[in-house]
Amino acid sequence: MKKTGKIWLFGLFSILLIFASACSKDTGSSEKPEKTDEGTKETVTLSIGSWRTEDTAGYAKVIEAFNKQYPDIKVEFKPSKNTEYNTILNTALQSGEGPDIFHLRPYAPGIALADAGYIEPLDGLEGLDAFPETALAASKGSDGKQYGVPLNMSTTQMFYNKKIFSDLGLEVPKTWDEFIALNEKIKKEGIIPIALGTKEGWLLSAAHGIIGPAHYGGNDFVEKITKGETDFKSAEFVNSIKAMDELKAYFPDNYEGLGMEDIRTLFFTGKAAMFPMGSWEIEVLRSMNPDLELGFFPMPSAVGKDATITAWVDGSFAVNANSKHKEEAKKFLQFLTTKEFGEPFTKEFKMISANPEVKSDDELVNSLSEAVSKISTPYMMVVYFAGGNPTSKATLELELQGMYLGQQTPEGVAGKVQENAETWYKPFQ
Amino acid sequence: MQTELNTETIKQMKQRKWKRWNIHLFPIPALVIYGLFIVYPLLAALSYSFFDWKGIKRGAFIGFDNYKDLFTLEPFSSMFWNAFWHNVLYFIVQMVVQNGLAFLLAFIIYQKIRGAEFFKIAYFLPRLLSVIVVGFLWKLIFNPNFGALNVLLGKFGLESLQEAWLGNTKTALMAIILVNCWFGLGFSVLIFLAGFQSIPRELIEAAKLDGANGFKMLTKILLPLMVPSIMIITVLTFIQSFEAFELVYAMQGSQGEPYRSTDTLAVYFYRLAFGGSSGDSTAIGLGSALAVVLFIFISTFTAILLKMMKKKEIEM
Amino acid sequence: MKHTIWTRPIYYIIAFLFASISLYPIILMILSSFKPSAEIFMSPLAFPKSFSLDTYRNLLDQIPFMTYFYNSVFVSVVSVLLILITTSLAAFYIARYTFWWNNIMFFFFLMGMMIPIKLGIVPLFLLMKDLGLTNSLWSLIMMYTAQGIPLSILILTGFFRTMPVELEEAARIDGASDLRILWNVVLPLMRPALGTVMIINFISAWNDFFFPLIFISDEMKKTIPVGMMKLFGEYSADWGALFAGLTLSSLPMIILFFIASKQFMEGLTAGAVK
Repeated sequence: MKKTGKIWLFGLFSILLIFASACSKDTGSSEKPEKTDEGTKETVTLSIGSWRTEDTAGYAKVIEAFNKQYPDIKVEFKPSKNTEYNTILNTALQSGEGPDIFHLRPYAPGIALADAGYIEPLDGLEGLDAFPETALAASKGSDGKQYGVPLNMSTTQMFYNKKIFSDLGLEVPKTWDEFIALNEKIKKEGIIPIALGTKEGWLLSAAHGIIGPAHYGGNDFVEKITKGETDFKSAEFVNSIKAMDELKAYFPDNYEGLGMEDIRTLFFTGKAAMFPMGSWEIEVLRSMNPDLELGFFPMPSAVGKDATITAWVDGSFAVNANSKHKEEAKKFLQFLTTKEFGEPFTKEFKMISANPEVKSDDELVNSLSEAVSKISTPYMMVVYFAGGNPTSKATLELELQGMYLGQQTPEGVAGKVQENAETWYKPFQ
Repeated sequence: MQTELNTETIKQMKQRKWKRWNIHLFPIPALVIYGLFIVYPLLAALSYSFFDWKGIKRGAFIGFDNYKDLFTLEPFSSMFWNAFWHNVLYFIVQMVVQNGLAFLLAFIIYQKIRGAEFFKIAYFLPRLLSVIVVGFLWKLIFNPNFGALNVLLGKFGLESLQEAWLGNTKTALMAIILVNCWFGLGFSVLIFLAGFQSIPRELIEAAKLDGANGFKMLTKILLPLMVPSIMIITVLTFIQSFEAFELVYAMQGSQGEPYRSTDTLAVYFYRLAFGGSSGDSTAIGLGSALAVVLFIFISTFTAILLKMMKKKEIEM
Repeated sequence: MKHTIWTRPIYYIIAFLFASISLYPIILMILSSFKPSAEIFMSPLAFPKSFSLDTYRNLLDQIPFMTYFYNSVFVSVVSVLLILITTSLAAFYIARYTFWWNNIMFFFFLMGMMIPIKLGIVPLFLLMKDLGLTNSLWSLIMMYTAQGIPLSILILTGFFRTMPVELEEAARIDGASDLRILWNVVLPLMRPALGTVMIINFISAWNDFFFPLIFISDEMKKTIPVGMMKLFGEYSADWGALFAGLTLSSLPMIILFFIASKQFMEGLTAGAVK
């Protein structure tokens, strides 16, 4: 009996020991920075939270450029996976923690964090005037204060495979009818006209962001609906949903089971001619197939208006209201407004800067950026209808999916979105 | 001998007196860790369900309004029942397919077939993979155009059976549940096998002498003795199928795609509490209320299940 | 139980059929990891044309795999030890004594499985902060131990109850203490159940990705699943690399299982007969 008793005692004791040593180790490590603080020069470490895991190497270069100006501010870029980013960030913020600087989702979701008081306002931050008002709107709080520095514009448009187009003797369409005729022609040649799947809802709202404006009539409609003068049940909007429905004739086989990876693969392997997708895919497509001859065209209007490119601000950087180093964090944000940041940024990430002064060295990105300044229409569901619970955007995605599965009509889709928007969207109330 | 025993029992009684309080220390370590890291945070979070939430900021106390909204306000109430029935299906299919098979396979292994070690390891191997890996792997297998399943069907000339498995409202949920069965089979086999093996051999030998064999042996002797392991598996499957989250999330994300056909209560909870994947709005109050409702439902049914099983155990 | 000559062959056919269903996807995963993406699309079921380790080498260059591995081992081993100690004591108490509160305590422990722990993530985060455990592997160990307790108690209590009381009584008459009865009499008989508890908790600690996401921000304190998740994001279009990543993150567990399985399976077969 004594023997076994000893074994238990020993076990418990050693566990206690391990525990104690671990705790003391932890406090030891947390003391360290304080000690270095007493040193000659104060170095501050800022952490950045983001959902862009793929940009880690790029940010290392950006941080290097920042350190040329501020050698005493150490910056760590700590991204987490896209799909779990909000869970992680929300938990930390609610607990009064979190990174000093974080990537803010654009429009309603980001603004909600600002309104809840988790973000430091950026009043009077130098360099903010470099951005157009539309870019700043992505992170402007309900109180009218600015809470974030916009980073990049994202666009969605129809990408196309130039080689397939020239092989088949096709031209970029100038009207909706030409677009449909083009699809027919490609289909007859045994090539998939449009690489799109309906398995993931976000693909559908993104595609509607491209195709929708051609039918509801671009900016005029957006202006009217945001004033409450028209709604989602209007013929214009219902037509945009019907157009989405018609296009399924040109989707790949089994499109209901295809997700992002599948349709991307269909496009870069040359099995599909067109790909309705966002500017962030340019780099991915090129790295997957360096020989791909990639082009884009603005969506031609079906109602006699200008062709459109869909654009919005995709992310901003904000300062945590609970950060211990707000001053230093603001210095970093200020750096983000400068050309010293903008140029390496567009170069590294092949993205369109939210600062119109900054040009890219990439031809495709530059021509997109030019199109944005001339013929852009906002991604309506993200910019104006990402609020509510569930959001109107999520409702559109869900119901479009139902439509493609034959369980919802275009009118039904529009009706559900309207019903949802009425629960929260002020102009509708 | 009689006197020896007497002195022995006196000694024992003295010891037992000491033991009486000694044994109460046994559950303390488990209670402390469990209480601190599970019970306390959950209790602290339960209060969330009585508040109005603006995003992730707590608002005013609103009593039972969140609970009322959960069952009366659209689309929340229809989402609740939609997800609930999916969980019911999850439980039934897992009981029949996964546990039925597991019982059979454990019985077969118990018959001392050759290669028993191999079979045990084979059935259990999927359980070693992370749920993320399982979800990813099967997503690739179910892929309608390149995936192994459709290609395999094509090889056997069964093109008519090819499906967009995860994109179709008719097949998506079933596909996920069957993957879950694939994943959980080995664990059930092990529990049943451990159950079979802890049946004292003497009992079986005695029954054999009485002329019991085959089917009669299984139903009259083994099955009643298996009640503890059947209870463990039933309770566990019940709880796990009503908490089904990780695999659904890994394969279809938090929206219950396509068209809410794979939504479960726990996924619905996650969506409310943490928002969609692209930073969609949260409804922490509603989410907490849902978690409480889920808890009340599961605990009530588990209690009933346990009571029923206990009765069975006593009957035999 | 012998009856007809058919029984045995049927047993083998069934056992073999389901073994192949269990194994096939895993084999497919490992084989695919050696193929370039194009080959996977063209002939997803075929044997790879050549075995190249390049994808693996690339992946390993990108992540501190050994650090992740060490962290995962440490976290899983310690939490399994803690679970075994705490729950065998508690389950013995619940199963073998007849205090009126035992059933209540049993149910109290089970409740932990009935509510999504993610609900309590903010209070948990604050608790870890107060204990000084954020960004420490001990936050994970504590979580996995606490989370493993309900299931382990359910399994162990069930099996402790099946054990004939006579064995214990005999030991008790010999004057053994309760602790000694548990250690010398009950636990050796319960090796199958203990083995199951051990394995199942080891796996869930090894494979969890939620808590490290929330509690750990230091790159050098991450565990394998979290580290791997990052890769899945970056290689979403490269199926060859994806399969290699999947294999890589599963391999340590599979190897560990084979090393431990002899012990574990022996326990399974030897346990009850003793």
